[in-house]
Amino acid sequence: MSSTDKLRGLKRLLLRQRSDPGSSDLAARRLRAMYLPLESRGKERNESLAEFLAQVTLFEGLGRGDRLRLARVLHERDFADGEYICKEHAPGAALFILRRGIVEIVSGEGAGEVPLALLEPPASFEEAGALGVGVRRWFSVRARGPVSLLALGRSDLDALIGSFPELANKVLVRMAGMLAVRLQMRIDAEALGSAGASEEVEP
Amino acid sequence: MTREGGAEPLSAVLTGVVAAAALAVVGCLLWGLRSLILPASIGGLLAYVCRPIVDRLERYGIQRGLAVGVLLLVLGAVALASLSSIRAVMPSQIEALELRVRVLYSLNHRYQALMGLDPSWTRGNRLYQLLNRDLDPLLDRVSEVLALTGEERAQLAASRDRGAGGGPAPLDRLLAYERVNAQTLEVRARRAGAAVQATGGSPEPGFLRRMAPSAVGVLLSTWMIAPLIFLFLLWDTGNIKRGLLRAVPNRLFEPALAVLADVDQALGDYLRGIARECCALGATVFVLLLLVGVPPQWALAIGTFTGLSNLIPYMGFVAALVSGLAYSLLAKDVNSLIPFVTDENFPIWVVAAVVVAELLKNAVYEPVVLGSAVKLHPLAVVVGALGGATLFGPAGMFLAIPVITVVKVLVASTARHLSVYGLV
Repeated sequence: MSSTDKLRGLKRLLLRQRSDPGSSDLAARRLRAMYLPLESRGKERNESLAEFLAQVTLFEGLGRGDRLRLARVLHERDFADGEYICKEHAPGAALFILRRGIVEIVSGEGAGEVPLALLEPPASFEEAGALGVGVRRWFSVRARGPVSLLALGRSDLDALIGSFPELANKVLVRMAGMLAVRLQMRIDAEALGSAGASEEVEP
Repeated sequence: MTREGGAEPLSAVLTGVVAAAALAVVGCLLWGLRSLILPASIGGLLAYVCRPIVDRLERYGIQRGLAVGVLLLVLGAVALASLSSIRAVMPSQIEALELRVRVLYSLNHRYQALMGLDPSWTRGNRLYQLLNRDLDPLLDRVSEVLALTGEERAQLAASRDRGAGGGPAPLDRLLAYERVNAQTLEVRARRAGAAVQATGGSPEPGFLRRMAPSAVGVLLSTWMIAPLIFLFLLWDTGNIKRGLLRAVPNRLFEPALAVLADVDQALGDYLRGIARECCALGATVFVLLLLVGVPPQWALAIGTFTGLSNLIPYMGFVAALVSGLAYSLLAKDVNSLIPFVTDENFPIWVVAAVVVAELLKNAVYEPVVLGSAVKLHPLAVVVGALGGATLFGPAGMFLAIPVITVVKVLVASTARHLSVYGLV
């Protein structure tokens, strides 16, 4: 196995999001999340979303009231198989939470495309987009099969900061933690990549 | 390949035609429903302003419905208190008649003195020769509104009788003023060649008196939409935004979110900025009028009126000038903090105070308080306000600047984000 393959495998391993590695009922929670009814609007919609949000790592520890408030500002999006959810090099404007289906994270385009990870519900991605840091993405996200997502826009988070600062603070802390972990993984992956490349050059 | 190549321009043409038709329909709808624009916009803007208050109440554990109810109660109480305080200072019917007689007398007297007019109102000084073509019609129209009808004159005379304990009619100063007013009107009407006698010496009834009851009904039913929109928007917890974004294709979702955020920011900045500027201008007018000798309650009323009028471009200055001058024409025994203000030069001081307030607004408040919230060229403001007034009347004038601000941000932000996301 070449060092490039090793690196790809490691990246997949590192970027695969686990909602709660220590929990024994992870599979049951994922299953429940995948088959929750998708009400279009109203109180039932918010109740259903709040129940789903309880399973998302990013919103762990939030009370039911907070999750209901959060549900009010989330947007539901449905994507067809192969449709891009977000594309490389564009700035992010929203955080996405996978509710149903599977998405793949890839880097590059066409023949040079490198698959990086597969995400399953209730994973989240693109936290930097909701924070509005203005960084352009280094990866694309594509639906593999029909996918349902929840999106939290930057303006929605801003509104939350203004209206419910305590709730927004909890979410922001979790997002910062998530971003820190991702950054560390990227640095580790880059370091491993450099080490692998120097090994290959050596006779 | 050939078919695909031909289909693309056809599709573009079709898209263009559909877009043009949609624009035309929207334009027709706007024109047809223009009487609803002002109440709907005011309801919407009020909801936009009050939304953070409801959110704050909700944060303290009050349910949203209850929070909206509490806000409505508070607003209702404030409106009732304002109405009762306005009614307290509003003159009664007879007092209003007396006020109109005094104002008209004072206006005619001061105009005659300023223009050096002879008793026949035909010859005056150089100032009169320079301005009479513009000022005479204006004075005529103001006189039309203020002059008493025959019936009102009888009411006034009867009230003076009752005031004198039912005795013979006293020749008090007010009735003398009214006689002078009637004579002046007659002289000026004769001069203008108009046959005032044809209406028995009574001028045309004013705007409010001409307004038919049915028109008032239509006005009320039109304004019913304002509280409905206010309540509906205040109650909404994001359904409207979500509904709008649901109609957007997936590839445009993120740009649409970013554009909406920019528009929200621009509208919020504008409303906060204009509210601060109105408060600053109203407070300045209040303080300056107080300094030149306007009593506190009148200075406060004129300051509040000026601040509210400032929501319409350039109307703050006009409102302050008109209301300040109206007061100064009526004022007697002026007690000013400035020693050289007298009854005679009081109107000049009031005008000076209004001009200073306007200069402060232009030099300090607009750049500092309003700041970068509205980056519009002054010409765009003037053309927008006049264009809005021409098309939609007062509603257009009131909404011109926020609409221009939003459209400007919408276009710029859409173009920027479509480019950033590689969609154009």
